[in-house]
Amino acid sequence: MNPLAVRPLDTTVEVATPEHISFDYAVAGPFRRLPAFLFDLVLKVSFLFAVAIAMVLCLSATGIEFGEQIAMFMFFVLVFFVFWFYGAVSEGWFNGRTPGKWLLGIRVISTTGSSLNGGQALLRNLIMAADLLPATPMYFLLTIDEVEPDGFVGVPTFLCGLCCMMLTTRQQRLGDLAAGTMVVVDQRGWSTMDARISDRRVSVLASYIPAHFQPSATLTKFLAAYHERRRFLGTGRRNEIARHLTPALLERFGFRSDIDPDLLLQSLYYRTFLAERNQEVLIPPELQGFSPLLDADRPKPSAANAAATRKDFAASAAIVLPNAAGAIEPTASAVDTITSTLEAPKP
Amino acid sequence: MSSVSDRIEQRRAQWAELEVLCSQLELRRSATGSASQTDRFAKLYRDACADLALASAYQLPPNRQQYLHRLVARAHNQLYRAQRWQPGYWMEVVFVNAPQQIYRDPCVRVAALVFYGLFIISMLLAWQSNLFPGFAEALLGQDALDSMREMYSDDQSEARGGSFFAARSGMAGFYIQHNTTIGLQCFAYGILIIPSLLLLGDNAIQLGAVFGYMARDSGSQATNFLKFVTAHGPLELTAIALSAAAGMRIGLGWFYTQGLPRSESLRVNTMRSLPIVVAAVVLFFLAAFTEAFISPSNMPYLVKAAWGLMTSAGLTFYFVVLGFPRGGTSAA
Repeated sequence: MNPLAVRPLDTTVEVATPEHISFDYAVAGPFRRLPAFLFDLVLKVSFLFAVAIAMVLCLSATGIEFGEQIAMFMFFVLVFFVFWFYGAVSEGWFNGRTPGKWLLGIRVISTTGSSLNGGQALLRNLIMAADLLPATPMYFLLTIDEVEPDGFVGVPTFLCGLCCMMLTTRQQRLGDLAAGTMVVVDQRGWSTMDARISDRRVSVLASYIPAHFQPSATLTKFLAAYHERRRFLGTGRRNEIARHLTPALLERFGFRSDIDPDLLLQSLYYRTFLAERNQEVLIPPELQGFSPLLDADRPKPSAANAAATRKDFAASAAIVLPNAAGAIEPTASAVDTITSTLEAPKP
Repeated sequence: MSSVSDRIEQRRAQWAELEVLCSQLELRRSATGSASQTDRFAKLYRDACADLALASAYQLPPNRQQYLHRLVARAHNQLYRAQRWQPGYWMEVVFVNAPQQIYRDPCVRVAALVFYGLFIISMLLAWQSNLFPGFAEALLGQDALDSMREMYSDDQSEARGGSFFAARSGMAGFYIQHNTTIGLQCFAYGILIIPSLLLLGDNAIQLGAVFGYMARDSGSQATNFLKFVTAHGPLELTAIALSAAAGMRIGLGWFYTQGLPRSESLRVNTMRSLPIVVAAVVLFFLAAFTEAFISPSNMPYLVKAAWGLMTSAGLTFYFVVLGFPRGGTSAA
């Protein structure tokens, strides 16, 4: 088995649907789940506080006999329900999301990828009591008289759940393991749009790329990733990264070796993703007469040797190593030459 | 031949439409929209699935493939939604699955044996003040015992007037909250095995000691106490044993895998424990209401004893008659 074909180290889970398609879910780690938990906790406590205050106000206004006792009854039952069944009910009701999870953009699903059912929601929330263990004792609370001396006063540390999450690939806590559920990031929207390339040199350079050249799947992926990230990089860094590939490409296309590496990759991106085939290229006046080809008179490579060139290129592109970059170091003057030649006019 | 970006542009309107439909469905509680909308959603979802399947063949850029993954996941979540809390399902859990599971699950027998065994031993130790002096005092503390004696020194049922019901309701809330929490903790800690057993044992010994200590005196406390616990005792003690049994069932999944992978075995055993714990919660609630409203009320003792007998008979009926293995299910 090809070692490169194994699943990446990303924290994603592949889910196969009844539509015979598999898609990836990003698993939510503790740094998303803890804020969601805390938000839910704040929500629960403030809800109970609000109810308590409302009850006190009602009692003082009406003054029913034994109203205090009835209010106490309701309050205790409410505390019990809120703390044990809040998660189960809201996850069952809102399709795997409590308000905190909704805020943090995460969702509980069953490990098969389908939505969780009521039983699973109930179980994973009941077993959360075990995930919260062990509790650290808070001795200063024991000195207060109102606290039962035999009651165990402690603050939950969540260590059981945390260790369990670290040991499972799906980052499940004990409750998740037992109920067969996992928490995934509920992503939406797309991150970045295809930025239109406004640089007019790109389309000109792209038109010189041999028509038979088909980028391989990995090269396509690389081009897209490079294009997505290049706006965060400075000129020097762009050239450094691009230079890993450009010597082989320049040779393959028969281009001059002083072509700006970043520009070359941009034109290749343009050719692969944006350009219409057989599209007429309008050459701006300042680039009239310019050719990136080594030998301007040389005819473009015929289709006959296309297969051979493609294979060669794939081989050379697949084994580009980081330390091969230093091998070909274009001089500063060469970069200057090409940038001055291909300087686009400011609109 | 159109470029990749054109292909994306063509599909984008439909993807956006699917996103809008997803948002609408997410806000609605039930998944039922108009027929045409549902139809449209299904079609768009299938198209998005097809796009995802062909994404690499179309040479879609990675960020677009990622987007498709997310879009399909989101639509998938709306199409296959969480099953709602249907009352029918839970009735079946409580009255069909739970008794059958309880009847045939050895964990229930073990948990009941541990609980009632420790309970009886502790009760005898606390009761026999001649043979084991100071057992109850050492276990529970003199202060707690004194306050308990004081609590039961007068016959509560005659001490108060007619609005007893309202006066005691605060305590009912406390019993529900406190006892059911202990029961559910017993269940939840079962996944860690030992904490659950410790909690079960601790409760058995403490309750046993209280029973033994209160029964020791020949005075009015003993009568009052025993009168007090008649009605709710059977329900409450059984409920604790049951929830611990459910927890034990989960813990057993860790090492008694029956050929399944360990995580799968854990999941299967947890699912088997669900009916038991639901039944335990129901019992806790019955016990709490009894403890709050019937046990301390000014009803004649006969009624309370009748209630205690009735609930015991009900439990027996529930466990044995409803739980008796029948047609096919017993083989499992």
